[in-house]
Amino acid sequence: MSQSGSDPKAAAPWAAQLDELAARRRFAAGLGGPEAVAKHHAQGRLTIRERIAGVVDEGSFQEVGRLTGQGRYEGAHLNSLTPAPYVMGMARIDGRPVAIGGEDFTVRGGTSWSGDRKKGGQGGFVEDLAHQYRIPLVNLIDGAGGSVTSIQRRGHSVFPGVHGFERSVQLLGEVPVVCAVMGTAAGGPAGRAILSHWSVMVKDTSHVFAAGPPVVQRSLGQKITKEELGGADLAVATAGTIDNVAASEQECFALVKRYLSYMPQNVWELPPLGDQTDPVDRRDELLRTIVPENRRQPYDMRRVIRAIADQGSIFEIQPTFGKAVITSLARMNGTVVGFIANNPMVNGGAMDVKAARKQSHFIELCDCFHIPLVFLVDVPGFMVGKDAEAAATLREGMRVVYVGLQATVPIFAVVVRKCYGMAGMATTDKNGLDFKVAWPSAEWGSLPIEGGVAAAFRREIEAATDPKRREAEIEAELRASASPFRTAEAFGVEEVIDPRETRPLLCTFINAARGRLATSVGPKPKYGVRP
Amino acid sequence: MMDLKAEVTGSVWKILATPGQTLEAGEVVMILESMKMEIPVVAEHGGELVEVCVTETDAVAEGQVLARIKL
Repeated sequence: MSQSGSDPKAAAPWAAQLDELAARRRFAAGLGGPEAVAKHHAQGRLTIRERIAGVVDEGSFQEVGRLTGQGRYEGAHLNSLTPAPYVMGMARIDGRPVAIGGEDFTVRGGTSWSGDRKKGGQGGFVEDLAHQYRIPLVNLIDGAGGSVTSIQRRGHSVFPGVHGFERSVQLLGEVPVVCAVMGTAAGGPAGRAILSHWSVMVKDTSHVFAAGPPVVQRSLGQKITKEELGGADLAVATAGTIDNVAASEQECFALVKRYLSYMPQNVWELPPLGDQTDPVDRRDELLRTIVPENRRQPYDMRRVIRAIADQGSIFEIQPTFGKAVITSLARMNGTVVGFIANNPMVNGGAMDVKAARKQSHFIELCDCFHIPLVFLVDVPGFMVGKDAEAAATLREGMRVVYVGLQATVPIFAVVVRKCYGMAGMATTDKNGLDFKVAWPSAEWGSLPIEGGVAAAFRREIEAATDPKRREAEIEAELRASASPFRTAEAFGVEEVIDPRETRPLLCTFINAARGRLATSVGPKPKYGVRP
Repeated sequence: MMDLKAEVTGSVWKILATPGQTLEAGEVVMILESMKMEIPVVAEHGGELVEVCVTETDAVAEGQVLARIKL
């Protein structure tokens, strides 16, 4: 730093040092330099500083570790400084504090950096901050993980886990963790994206995989593009590796904020109460007629959710994966709830392995953050057939049953149409109040009548003069006895309601359950072994 | 050209449109039967139905191309 005797400021105490601080902050603000930033922008990507600014409340970012990096000196004089490729700190989203950080792709492609203390990525200060202050963690991921050049730099190869996932895993039981894949995430950063309560990626400009195309070609001889290997089509819709997709980085920021609006700051609190402007006694006429009387005809379950939940409050998680079930965060008279609704348009609502995986995760998510569950039930059972068995639908389906029985949040089941078998069982709250209400269109049993008659009445049907007719007669007799009103007589279902009464009734009980929710906050201990 | 794909595993129950026909967005091209339910296959965008790749009673797998539409 130059010092001039004629400049009065230079003579002030600590002036040189404060000048140096300002200079070092300018290097930090410059990221990987104008050329690298321009190249990054040209690819339609924002820098990590622009991304953080896009997510958080204006002017609220308080950076930590701004001076980290690699200085180059001439004697004692700092010539230049390459910032560490990770930017992080504390900020506010909708007025609430969060820990936020992300790789800086403009510095060495966001590869890992070794200072005295790690800033973030896997563990590091930003994760310690989320843990110690019990505030949500937002990861903006844009890094390819380790580089083999580190062997050259260090003179030895690093054992996996020296910067491990132990804190990342611990956070999943403590505070909301959101991971947004903003660029190419491979290796550790890809793994970090999965260790989240909710993840999102950007269409076209972000990719996620365990290893990228060069490694795949070397290992398997497969020639494949980055988009085919880890674009949103594969990672979100086909694999469910990442939960949601955003059309642009800006939309991605909006989704992150939206998701967090449903979450408490940590598991020791309840999610914030939303506005209560939608009348609790609103009865949507659509509900009376939406289920076709012809049992073979499906209907749009998303319209059912929209008719019941607070208007404009629905946020669907994994909308394009495991589509036989719909999982949405929403509000009922302001209280955050999780809707789990079978989708009769896909597999007739039967639970396949993807739907099961999605449902298990959603139940655990809601249970962790004290969000009551509302099931809208129309499930004929687990998916059947050789493909389904080969995919271990039974095992993944029983995992849903297991996870559901471990949940301690209040669960409300509204049987819209079919509720059969073990998949049907998984919609109820057997360890809790077990409150089930049915629409008049509801039907249930251990298996659908049409599937069971041929097997159970085989001899009688075979002996009949017209076996087909006899089978139809038996089916009709059984169906008459399967009316939901008959089960209600036996108090085997707690209420049969006019579908239009669904919202008022659910609101009444969810409001009443708030006291229970408020008095049972805290971490959820886990025991046992998932099947 | 856009492929209309089966979203479910099942069989073709009824084909409602014929090649050459102009489809409106949202029009039902065929109905599949899956898990004893009638699942409509809807043209997301309007266009000309160029080809129907299946016949009634055919078994179809999830992701299988059912028809081709020229947008």
